[in-house]
Amino acid sequence: MHVIQQWTEANAFFIWLRESPSIWAYPTVFFLHTIGLVFTAGVSLLIDARVLGAARELQVAPLGKFFKPVWIGFWLTAISGVVMVLSDFETRVTNRLFPLKMACVVAAIVLTALMRRRVERADLSTPTRAMAAASVACWLGAITAGRFMAFFQ
Amino acid sequence: MNAWWIVPVWKTIHYVAIAALAGIVGVVDLRIFGVGKGLALRPLQRLMPWAVVAFVVAAASGFALLRIGPGNSLGPPVNVAFAAKIVCLVLIGLNDILYFASGLKRQVDGVGPGERTSVSARIVAGVSLVLWIGVVYWSRMLTFLAGAI
Repeated sequence: MHVIQQWTEANAFFIWLRESPSIWAYPTVFFLHTIGLVFTAGVSLLIDARVLGAARELQVAPLGKFFKPVWIGFWLTAISGVVMVLSDFETRVTNRLFPLKMACVVAAIVLTALMRRRVERADLSTPTRAMAAASVACWLGAITAGRFMAFFQ
Repeated sequence: MNAWWIVPVWKTIHYVAIAALAGIVGVVDLRIFGVGKGLALRPLQRLMPWAVVAFVVAAASGFALLRIGPGNSLGPPVNVAFAAKIVCLVLIGLNDILYFASGLKRQVDGVGPGERTSVSARIVAGVSLVLWIGVVYWSRMLTFLAGAI
């Protein structure tokens, strides 16, 4: 932990990210994080809703094709998220809500990976629906924890 | 005066509504571009009323946030990012009116599984995606550009 803190404090890129008043620095990374998150969570929630029984006229199997853009959005969110954490390492990782947010994100993405094949096979069995319900809870948890983090220490 | 949790609660509602909206807009626009071609467009476009519901929730929670802390967005001085965000939203409204009024929406409703959409439908979907990304971009710049001019 201490080693990472020292590295990011001395690293030119992270110094620029922290201290530059340019909107191409921190605000742009923050924007990429937001757009990736909103897209990833939104499309996942839509697939979850269908699996749970909403919009029954929508065919399930072709929805599996949307997992690829979901993964692209996820990596955009994850990489920009890591960059933001590193830019202010100690404050972020010691935030009381940080472990909760990470747990929600990891669980949500594991569920996404597990659900892909099932959606492609149009498998709406009880385990798949349980995964979809858990995925909704995880995304809502991740967004809530993320919003509250700024108000916690 | 307000409890500390009021702002993050409104922000959470705002975010969840935006995610729901982005999910629907994203999937419809991507299908128009040819992703998930196995889906017919009519049942996808039937989700649009839910996108409207999500938008109303996002707008209402956004309005609540403006009333709690107008400083960042409303200025004075004028916040360029907030103005640009509103311009993007108005253009999205016009783009949607064009989509419905021109009969394009009905044409797209007829696109079945495995079929391609017309070039004009792709242009409208592209404009929609770019403008929505613009809304998120300028929203993010709000606090950073407060009082910039």
